[in-house]
Amino acid sequence: MTAEAAIQTEGLTCIYRQLWRRREVRAVDDVSLEVSRGTSFGLLGPNGAGKTTFVKLLLGIVRPAAGQARLLGLDCRRPEARLRVGYLPENHRLPSYWTGTGLLEFAAALSGLDARTRRERARQLLELVGLGNWGDVRLARYSKGMLQRLGLAQAMMHSPALLILDEPTDGVDPLGRQQIRTILRELEQRGVTIFLNSHLLTEVELFCKEVAIMDRGRLVLSGKVRDLIAGKGYRLTALNVPERLFERLREQASAAAMRDGVAEFQFASREEVNGALDLLRAAGCLVESIAPTTSTLEQVFLRTVGREGSQP
Amino acid sequence: MILRQSAALVRDTLQEASLRWIFWGYYGLSTAAILFFLFLLHVDVIEGARATISLLGETSARAFPLQELVRRFYGAVAVLLYVHGMALAVFAAAGLMAAPLEGGRIEWLLAKPVARWRILGMRLLGSLIAVGLNVCYLVLSVWIILGWKTGVWDPSFLAVIATVMFMFAVLLSVVTLAVVLAGSATLATMAAFALMLISPLLAQHKLMVKLLDSESWRNIWRALYWALPKVYEVGRMNMDLLRGRPIESWMPVWSSALFAALMLVAAFCLFARRNY
Repeated sequence: MTAEAAIQTEGLTCIYRQLWRRREVRAVDDVSLEVSRGTSFGLLGPNGAGKTTFVKLLLGIVRPAAGQARLLGLDCRRPEARLRVGYLPENHRLPSYWTGTGLLEFAAALSGLDARTRRERARQLLELVGLGNWGDVRLARYSKGMLQRLGLAQAMMHSPALLILDEPTDGVDPLGRQQIRTILRELEQRGVTIFLNSHLLTEVELFCKEVAIMDRGRLVLSGKVRDLIAGKGYRLTALNVPERLFERLREQASAAAMRDGVAEFQFASREEVNGALDLLRAAGCLVESIAPTTSTLEQVFLRTVGREGSQP
Repeated sequence: MILRQSAALVRDTLQEASLRWIFWGYYGLSTAAILFFLFLLHVDVIEGARATISLLGETSARAFPLQELVRRFYGAVAVLLYVHGMALAVFAAAGLMAAPLEGGRIEWLLAKPVARWRILGMRLLGSLIAVGLNVCYLVLSVWIILGWKTGVWDPSFLAVIATVMFMFAVLLSVVTLAVVLAGSATLATMAAFALMLISPLLAQHKLMVKLLDSESWRNIWRALYWALPKVYEVGRMNMDLLRGRPIESWMPVWSSALFAALMLVAAFCLFARRNY
């Protein structure tokens, strides 16, 4: 484990026991993960993969059966470990008897902020999340999207170094999502580590630099988004390609195949595909198609989880 | 920082209580009782005394001492507060204790840098304050009204605040454990009400022991009597204090306090270890 990491887990395991049926469910199974400080990290997985339990383990809401976790270098079981952590839970039910300002001040007081700072931060953050005119209104009158934005604001009240967000854009309209992404991007630029637990793959792909995929409680893949979606490029298919030319192009391409007389090449860049096109034309080959290809995070996800039609 | 967090948690409880209809009703009933006393005493003190005694069902031709009249008033308020007020307070507080343990809210609270015992402890303290304020409001108001009208300022009535709050704290400990165990305000209320209802029966343990024919049942009955809080007997002590009678035994108080302490230790230990 490195001291620089924002989140470090080692063999983290959570077992839910059903007393009456004597059944055990390994919600999180031997997960070792490291999230470096200042990065934006996305945790993906199908329903029931153990993502939310993993987050709860990190925050001491659930006790591990085995293993350990550290937040910003501190044992996650200690309340001090959460001093510089902001959290937005999934399906939260923020106390509706507070006003927007009241809730933010309450959240900040729990993080130890003094009254003056609380007032100032509440005002600033309500403005930031677009609820500047709603500070004196009770939460009972807020829409789901507004509650989600307020939830994000309360997580940011004490200027955390690590922000753990469970489905932060749930129920938020596209404009609000864009706004949340902008806020998170600004935080990331200021060195805040952002840990995103989301089922929206495109959102994770747009925002996160690193991802991990969980399935059936286990960590099945982790890495940089850039590396995982490296399958981007161009696919070229042609007919009547002589064997010598096919072999030559195969060396240049990232992948090549000959199926039923049709040669198929995968090139990583525009220059490479144009060079190949020149050679094929010169040899009198018939070019059938050229198409840009992408390997989206969704494709990576489906490949990894191995279940077509899975819901992340 | 600890003080700041604790104050915020207590304030959160009071904020929630202030917006619950049940607490409005609770305070409303106290206000109604105070208004009733104001109305009742809005007559000449001496004539009113006789009239009031007649109203309470005790007609007497002899001159009734004013001190005794005031004590009777005190007794009426104490019984009202100890029985009906207590039931309402338990009902109101059970909802207040269970609310932060609801899914979606408890995760949010537990993720804050606050020790679990403090989250539960401050909720408990907030509930005690919310109920205590009402008890003080009613008792002090009645004491001031009666004192002002009759000139009798008997401080023994103020002990009602302590006895009512003590027994409420004992019952709240049961509510706390039930809420942590089952997460249900209804179940917690039922548990506390069951203790209130069984208490007069257990108080007759000497008679019951004579009536039971099996030694095992006698032992069970004795064990229940010693283990469970003595709501009825503490109520009797309350009345003895008001009437200026000496307290024969403090056992009902310390055994109830011990029971509450055990309930709270169990609740706090369970809450500290529980997964949400």
